[in-house]
Amino acid sequence: MRITPRITAALAIVVVSAVALTGCASGSAAKSTATTATIGLTAEPANLDFTTTDGAAIPQALLDNVYEGLVTLNNDGEIEPLLATSWEVSSDNKDYTFTLADGVTFSNGDKFTAETVKWNIENVKSDKWTISLKSYMDVVDSVEVVDDTHVTVKLSKPSNDWLFRMTTRIGAMFDPDASTDLANTAVGTGPYTVAEFNSGDSLVLEQRDGYWGTKPALEKVTFKYFSDPNAENSALQSGSIDAISGLSSLDSMSLFSDTSKYTIQDGSTNAEVVLSMNNASGIFKDVRVRQAVNYAIDRQAIITNSTADTGKLIGSMVPPTDPWFDSSLVDAYPYDVDKAKELISEAGVEGATIRFRIPNLANVSAAAQQVQSYLTAVGFKVELDTLEFPAQWLDKVFTGHDYDMSIINHVEARDIATYADPTYYWGYDNAEFQSLVAKADAGTADEQVSYLKDAAALLSKDAVSDWLYLESYVSVVKPSLTGLPANQLGESLNVTDLAWS
Amino acid sequence: MTVLMKPRMSTRHRRSIPASLIAGAVIVGLVIIAALVSFIWTPFDPTITTTDRLLSPSGEHFLGTDALGRDVFSQLLVGARTTLYVGIISVGFAAIIGVPLGILSAAGPRWLGELIMRFIDLLLAFPALLLAIIFGAAFGTSTFSAMMAIGIATAPAFARLARSGALQVLSTEYVLAARIARRGELDIAVRHVLPNILGMLIVQASVCYGVAVLAESGLSFLGFGTPPPTPTWGRMLQEAQAIMFTNPMLVVWPAVCIVVAVLGFNLLGDGLRDRFDPKMEDNR
Repeated sequence: MRITPRITAALAIVVVSAVALTGCASGSAAKSTATTATIGLTAEPANLDFTTTDGAAIPQALLDNVYEGLVTLNNDGEIEPLLATSWEVSSDNKDYTFTLADGVTFSNGDKFTAETVKWNIENVKSDKWTISLKSYMDVVDSVEVVDDTHVTVKLSKPSNDWLFRMTTRIGAMFDPDASTDLANTAVGTGPYTVAEFNSGDSLVLEQRDGYWGTKPALEKVTFKYFSDPNAENSALQSGSIDAISGLSSLDSMSLFSDTSKYTIQDGSTNAEVVLSMNNASGIFKDVRVRQAVNYAIDRQAIITNSTADTGKLIGSMVPPTDPWFDSSLVDAYPYDVDKAKELISEAGVEGATIRFRIPNLANVSAAAQQVQSYLTAVGFKVELDTLEFPAQWLDKVFTGHDYDMSIINHVEARDIATYADPTYYWGYDNAEFQSLVAKADAGTADEQVSYLKDAAALLSKDAVSDWLYLESYVSVVKPSLTGLPANQLGESLNVTDLAWS
Repeated sequence: MTVLMKPRMSTRHRRSIPASLIAGAVIVGLVIIAALVSFIWTPFDPTITTTDRLLSPSGEHFLGTDALGRDVFSQLLVGARTTLYVGIISVGFAAIIGVPLGILSAAGPRWLGELIMRFIDLLLAFPALLLAIIFGAAFGTSTFSAMMAIGIATAPAFARLARSGALQVLSTEYVLAARIARRGELDIAVRHVLPNILGMLIVQASVCYGVAVLAESGLSFLGFGTPPPTPTWGRMLQEAQAIMFTNPMLVVWPAVCIVVAVLGFNLLGDGLRDRFDPKMEDNR
């Protein structure tokens, strides 16, 4: 039989392509289960530069994964060493001497030394940083380089809060020689680098060579961003993503009830949903009226309706993961309509009108309609006024203090100190509270806990606000993927512990 | 083909009531009845929230309850009120602005007519939804600002129609006779022009009503319409959207109401046009 060159060529193509195709298929399948993972998220970063761009999405993706700080916050809310292996605090609580890890390099090969730390802390204080959070660095007086691996930070006054803030984005260490185009390039000391950033779609982290610490298990982690929660749910159901970190529609948890296919992680947050009352003017100047509001609202019912039973009662401005959480405050104001009516008539404000100005956010609107329903039941007339968020709400309520009552999600960590600021929109001016917060920041770690416990109890006694609930951070993960942080306490979504089992 | 057309045209000679008019009137009637009933009776108070959330339809809750434990059927009844209210006010507002401007541009001096019509063209360039969002941002979101915006955006349709109708009427012999009898322009407009174009305007109003209902639902969906807690079909749709895949019926009920109501007003408009529009006269 004569085989023409043409047939040979055709055969060759068939054989080669068959081999190539099977090779491809098996290769990629094996790879996707062993060394890569895709996580679904909701809010997308505008760019890669969190020194000038506000918002949670950029540090969520980059902090701890690409950029590292001297210290980090673990998933139980405790401060842990990272680039600093240990630190000593002087007896007056003002000087912090950090011992740095040895042999740390940036992903471009540059060395990380004590000089780098000095440059970074001074950089936050300079005009290069424009976000408001940079003010947490104001307390730093000077930075002294002792030697290559030792650096002393001198504070102008003792501050427990400063070390905690060093776990957030302001503590991130940049390469002084590669920080000109932060919006597009990210050079850090962390185990990952940004391989791709596709605006509107995804951000791909890839493991780098020569990481100083323990190598993470996964080569590649992709954050995929969904503006539509239903699309995100479908993506997990179809298997195109491996986990959803932070489920936006909690009622859709029922879609993932099959425990052989999905694990649901019910994590904690710092996000207190606060029913704020204007303490400085109107009927809520009277503590009895504020207490009446606290008695009149069935917070457990709101948790059921608004958060599919995942929210938690807090009773003050402290989440359970902070060391000064006091569980006895949770029941300080049980749901008691008679008691509420009694206090209202005592204060002489029966039938008063409440200007309830809320931002146009879906979860706020749902909570506000329930609050309105409860307050109407005890005889108030509630005028619900929905303001566009952020511009109008910030202008009228937050800045202008032109409101009686509002609701917003206070997501920042350890924000009980906002009540010590009499110009904040709470309108709460209590010298005793202010001195407790000041003493807590200046004292030892133990003193900090006891003073802030007293402060939280004082807030509850004065019924400054009604703390409706603490939001949960619900994640849905494929059961074989481990190491996805359950809680959202710091600013980062640390993916360095992710692994397939 | 012409043979086939013939019998159909001959039946049109009798001034029968068009089927679309009947269907439209029935649907609109139902919406009006639902709104009226809601004033005296609803199974539950539609603004009271409970923890009996996401219940399936039952004898107690005819269409179940929503995510905040409110009765869906009661909300739909009260929502019909908002729908009618918004439609009446915004279409009325559009007619009050549009019709006098249209007649004035036809009866007044030529330069004034041109000026008014160019102004109307300018107004036409703003879509109703965009205008409503601008109003909402400027004056705060309320039913009233939404109605004003929809009204202003639909006014050009009335103005153009009134102008073309008025031009036709003004060229007739009886208007000439009235002018010879030294009747004033206003008198002519009120006694001759308006009654003769009223049919057309009613048809236009009915069609615009459907558009207004749709626009209000869209605005409520976007959060620029009637603020909570007053139930509206558009906001019910928006609140149900997040749980669409777990509780699909909560989306279906308000959506069906909106579609059927808009269809009803359009059918009514079609039917009325078949009866009143002079352009259809030739076919009869």
